[in-house]
Amino acid sequence: MSQQSEPIVDIQGLNKWYGALHVLNDVDLTVASGACVVVCGPSGSGKSTLIRCVNGLGSYQKGTLRLAGTTLGVNARETAAARRQTGMVFQSFNLFPHLTVLSNCTLALQRVAGRSRAEAEHIAMSHLEKVRIPEKAKSYPGQLSGGQQQRVAIARALCLNPRLMLFDEPTSALDPEMIKEVLDVMVALARDGMTMICVTHEMGFAREVADQVVFMDGGCILDRAPARDFFGGSGHPRSRHFLNTVLKH
Amino acid sequence: MPMSLFEIWLGILQGLGTTLAVTAYGLVFAVPFALVFGVAQYLTRGVARLLVTGVIEFWRSSAVIILLFVFYYALPVVGVTLSALTVSAMVLGLNAGGYASQAVRAGLQALPAGQKEAGAALGLSRPAILLLIELPQALIAMSPTFVNTLIQLLKATALVSLVTLTDMTFRAKEIAQVEYNPVAIYTALLLAFFVVCYPIALAGRWLEARVAAPGSRSSGI
Amino acid sequence: MGFDLAFALSSVPTILGAIGMTLSVALVSCIGAAAIGFLFDVVRRVGGFVGLTISFVIDFIRSTPLLAWLYFLYFVLPFYGIRLGSLTVGVMGLSLYYSGYLAEVFKAGIDAIPKGQSEAARALSLSRRDAVIYVIAPQMLRNIAAPLGNYFVSILKATPYLAVLAVPEMLGRAFDIASETYRYTEPLVVAGLIFLALALVISHGVKRLERRLLAVGAR
Repeated sequence: MSQQSEPIVDIQGLNKWYGALHVLNDVDLTVASGACVVVCGPSGSGKSTLIRCVNGLGSYQKGTLRLAGTTLGVNARETAAARRQTGMVFQSFNLFPHLTVLSNCTLALQRVAGRSRAEAEHIAMSHLEKVRIPEKAKSYPGQLSGGQQQRVAIARALCLNPRLMLFDEPTSALDPEMIKEVLDVMVALARDGMTMICVTHEMGFAREVADQVVFMDGGCILDRAPARDFFGGSGHPRSRHFLNTVLKH
Repeated sequence: MPMSLFEIWLGILQGLGTTLAVTAYGLVFAVPFALVFGVAQYLTRGVARLLVTGVIEFWRSSAVIILLFVFYYALPVVGVTLSALTVSAMVLGLNAGGYASQAVRAGLQALPAGQKEAGAALGLSRPAILLLIELPQALIAMSPTFVNTLIQLLKATALVSLVTLTDMTFRAKEIAQVEYNPVAIYTALLLAFFVVCYPIALAGRWLEARVAAPGSRSSGI
Repeated sequence: MGFDLAFALSSVPTILGAIGMTLSVALVSCIGAAAIGFLFDVVRRVGGFVGLTISFVIDFIRSTPLLAWLYFLYFVLPFYGIRLGSLTVGVMGLSLYYSGYLAEVFKAGIDAIPKGQSEAARALSLSRRDAVIYVIAPQMLRNIAAPLGNYFVSILKATPYLAVLAVPEMLGRAFDIASETYRYTEPLVVAGLIFLALALVISHGVKRLERRLLAVGAR
């Protein structure tokens, strides 16, 4: 099987419990190369837990998860190699506060990808330009606005040239006026053909670029549909209800 | 016949009364100093604040063991004769009070400005706002820090053995002169202090869990 | 009698001559206390019986006076045939006593690092070792710098305790002068003022450092 035809993420029957709490319940999800999948649902529905499993930040008890053709957790070396093909953007940015914007981006390039400092800085600058913030390369994260920090976080995740980008509520911690600058970067990324899984409530974003919208509640995927059908109102009653609440906001 | 462990322990505990007396007498100095100077540092500006800070820093930033000797030896020279107990209680108490005054001030400063404004909006006078609104909140919030300071004071009373007071430490040294059993004697001394201080520390932790003081990261001792 | 300023000034060189001793004792003790305290905190994080034991040891140290620890080490170690100089015993005592406090400094400094930091390091595929060296340790050091500086001042102010063990530091020198001249006030006041000045100057430096650390890299 060639890498092109195989989905980047292939999840079958994934189950996870926190004690008695069933946080992921028989979740199946495949993400094809180049696709943009938006995962939405009420808080506590398991959507963040799901994407944290994809890059190995979270664990699960039952089911299989294949990432870039590798079943995670079988072989440590292959797992690490597969994880390296993912980039992640967090709700709370998680930039390293003691490092400059540029050093935030070059750290993994130097320590993980083994690039020289000059190479790493060159690559990092190109990504900072892509997120339109190269002039802040020498600043510290604390000197940046939330929107700027999140764009840096996206650039940092892009530096290792991932095949899959994971977004965990990237705009939830932002002031309203800063949401757009981050979404614009994400839209451009999706249009460039990046494979993305985005946990987000930004339905405008989903409508614009999502190939598929997945609705989760209570650890289950209740609804999955191409974006146009999802917003067309043909879905599960719970997802229609959710959609109504979110869109009224 | 050598003393049994129990006799050594009892011998050391004969000094407990002095240890506790110096601590309690020290609080007589520490509490008013902390309240008056903590509040004064909070309220004053300019030269007045500089003076207040100077007094606090003298007691807080000096090496307490030297302060004790200085006052013990120097006061009689300038014609002031106080008992060793009074000198010790004053020096240790004001040193602890210096630390506690910083907690009082920090506690007052940490209160949201809205508290003072709400008091003023109700027509309360400035002293009334301080006494009825600001101080109660600040003192409760900082109470775990005060417990810490109390433990520091209690431990610092070991120093009074150096100016002839017969506290637990002094008793341990006395016993050591008639009995060559340093392991038992000094272990018993450490244990004696532990038995007194640890329950206070636990009480402080309980308090801290209840008040969850903003800005205080003490852990009970 | 009263205070003889000329005599006081004449005692300054002798007492100040021990300032190097005082500062090095404080520095070595602070490093020792930080090393033991760090070890305590790391082992405590392992948890289980060992972790609980360490927690208790820390509580025990913090519930007992420095003076008692100095006597304990000074008189008990020779009983077991361990003969060390009084300076060594003094440094050991200060290190041990303050390790209980520095363990809490390390705990607070590490706990204050948000969990997202190590998650971000993992998401970037950094090895555990690289995550500690490049992400966790620098932030921990930034968090502990000011409290560590404050404890250095505390340790400095505790070095005159070593006079009790006849270590010739500044208070010891002051007592030497006093017992030769039968005048206690002047040398003691001089020693006291030198310590006060040292404490205020270093505290001021720590405060400035704290402000700079807060200004850069605040999140």
